[in-house]
Amino acid sequence: MLQILFYTAALVAVISTVLVITNANAVHALLYLILSLIASAVVFYLMGAYFAALLEIIIYAGAIMVLFLFVVMMLNLGTQTLDQERRWLEPSAWRWPTAMATVLLIEFLYVFLGGGRNPTGHIVTPKEVGITLLGPYVLAVELASMLLLAGLVAAYHLARPEVRR
Amino acid sequence: MISAVDLIALLPLLILTGTAILAMLAIAIRRNHRLVFLLTVAGLLGALALVPMAANMTPRTVTPLLLVDRYALVFTALALAAGLVVVCLCRSYFGVRADQPEEVYLLILTALLGAGVLAAGRHFASFFLGLETLSVSLFALIAYPYRDERALEAGIKYLVLSGAASGFLVFGMALVYADTGTLEFSALISASSTLTIIIGTILIVAAVSFKLSLVPFHLWTADVYQGAPAPVTAFLATVSKGAVFVLLLRYAVAGGLGQAPALVNVLSLLAALSMLAGNLLALRQDNLKRLLAYSSIAHMGYLLIVLVAGSKVSGSFAAEALLFYLAAYFVTTLAAFGTITVLSPSDREAESLDDYAGLFHSHPWPATVLASALLSLAGIPLTAGFVGKFYLFAAGGLGELWTLLALLVVGSGLGLYYYVRVIFQMAKPSLDIAGKPTAPAPLEAHLVLVVLLVLLFGLGVYPGGVIDLLTMAALR
Repeated sequence: MLQILFYTAALVAVISTVLVITNANAVHALLYLILSLIASAVVFYLMGAYFAALLEIIIYAGAIMVLFLFVVMMLNLGTQTLDQERRWLEPSAWRWPTAMATVLLIEFLYVFLGGGRNPTGHIVTPKEVGITLLGPYVLAVELASMLLLAGLVAAYHLARPEVRR
Repeated sequence: MISAVDLIALLPLLILTGTAILAMLAIAIRRNHRLVFLLTVAGLLGALALVPMAANMTPRTVTPLLLVDRYALVFTALALAAGLVVVCLCRSYFGVRADQPEEVYLLILTALLGAGVLAAGRHFASFFLGLETLSVSLFALIAYPYRDERALEAGIKYLVLSGAASGFLVFGMALVYADTGTLEFSALISASSTLTIIIGTILIVAAVSFKLSLVPFHLWTADVYQGAPAPVTAFLATVSKGAVFVLLLRYAVAGGLGQAPALVNVLSLLAALSMLAGNLLALRQDNLKRLLAYSSIAHMGYLLIVLVAGSKVSGSFAAEALLFYLAAYFVTTLAAFGTITVLSPSDREAESLDDYAGLFHSHPWPATVLASALLSLAGIPLTAGFVGKFYLFAAGGLGELWTLLALLVVGSGLGLYYYVRVIFQMAKPSLDIAGKPTAPAPLEAHLVLVVLLVLLFGLGVYPGGVIDLLTMAALR
């Protein structure tokens, strides 16, 4: 049973990722991207990595949702954009994402309401994640911080307006 | 957990990190080009000075991620020295051109940190993090003069292709992990080479080949070399490629790459294609930076011989050959790009071969350095490049890689043609001396060229001293 659940979620992830790449409309592509991230979160969940699944939802899907909101807010300039938004919300746009998201929801509810009937492998707790990160992987955490520093400096430099001396 | 001895072994990397943070704070408080430059130089010198102290503690495994041994430390020292040279070249170059030149030093420091981590990496996590730290710093360095369309284009090209390569890398790592269940390189040696591991390793090799610009993953090289500022190109051509190669050899030796004939065949094919295509593409180039880009493809192909041989000869000899060749290649490439930097007028770069017509008459000193560098790249005796090639032949001969060695000979022959073509161009009698680029004569840049020239001939005439140092740096 677990295998069926896994392959269904994986299939949703693959299909939605392909649609992200092929979709010409940026907003539709973003919708599929969120769906793809939720599908991978469900895969994590099925494998017992509850913490990773939560982070996937909070950080990726959440952050991308915010990005999505920003895009909508920036585009929302007047009445002509209302038509545009109405066109975005045609059934053909949301039919498939909703169908796939429903599949994921059913899977989640099935496992959740099953109450441990479905074996999920070793359950990784946040405490374990923390001990690993600050134990053997402490240098990785420090290195990641330097990586982010480099990225931050790069983004600052490339995005700033030119200064006249 | 990390003990005090571990911290001493990590000191060079810690100093680098600390300097980067100090530089960031200094920039945040008050922008001062000279202060940040001096801080960076002091940090690099401090890190270099602490390498021998760290070497007393080797070999030491610091957490599962890093293995600080002499192999890693020798490369770290080499990268730090190359960083020092690049920083000296950057000062006059960006001081004239950029409106805010301070971040260059910060990014060079983080890139060097990435290179140091790659050299000491024994785990996929440090491999990935080191490579990304290096690459992210390089995107910004390549696109640093972002008002210049070509630099921006080069930066975006590198960003997109590097992102794709990272995707391959992570997927390959995931496949290897799926089979072995651990992220350490050494786990591979005991694992039987199943199809999953072979596909995973080939994906990793493909991603790394992108960084090393091996054919057929070389398409970005010429454009990025041309578009990037000359000192950054020097950094990209030396530290970035060298670090990846050093890691690849460790991965190959620690992971027992030679046991899978499929991988050896893939690497041999990459080497053969790079040697041929790199040299052939360089033949008709009229742009010195593009010419050096194609020549670097060929040189990375030559170096792959060491890696292929590494599965047959002892790991320590392969490490010695690789490190010596890298040292020679670093000195030579830095000298070549250093000359380009010194000769560039402040509004553009001296990259067309026409800029170099009659250079021996108008600017004899930079012309001498460039000519020596080109001869060393071609592998003429008495230069560092010759001893490096000698090592390649020795490694190839021990590993009985006759086809690859034959291609090395053919490639070197082709190489001689285009290197000497540039020297002929410089020796031409020049009619129009007034129109030639004028060097602004920054002191430290010229000083760096003197040191590089001395090293270039020093390594070629008396390589013994460095070789003694390298034999102590045996891998494992």
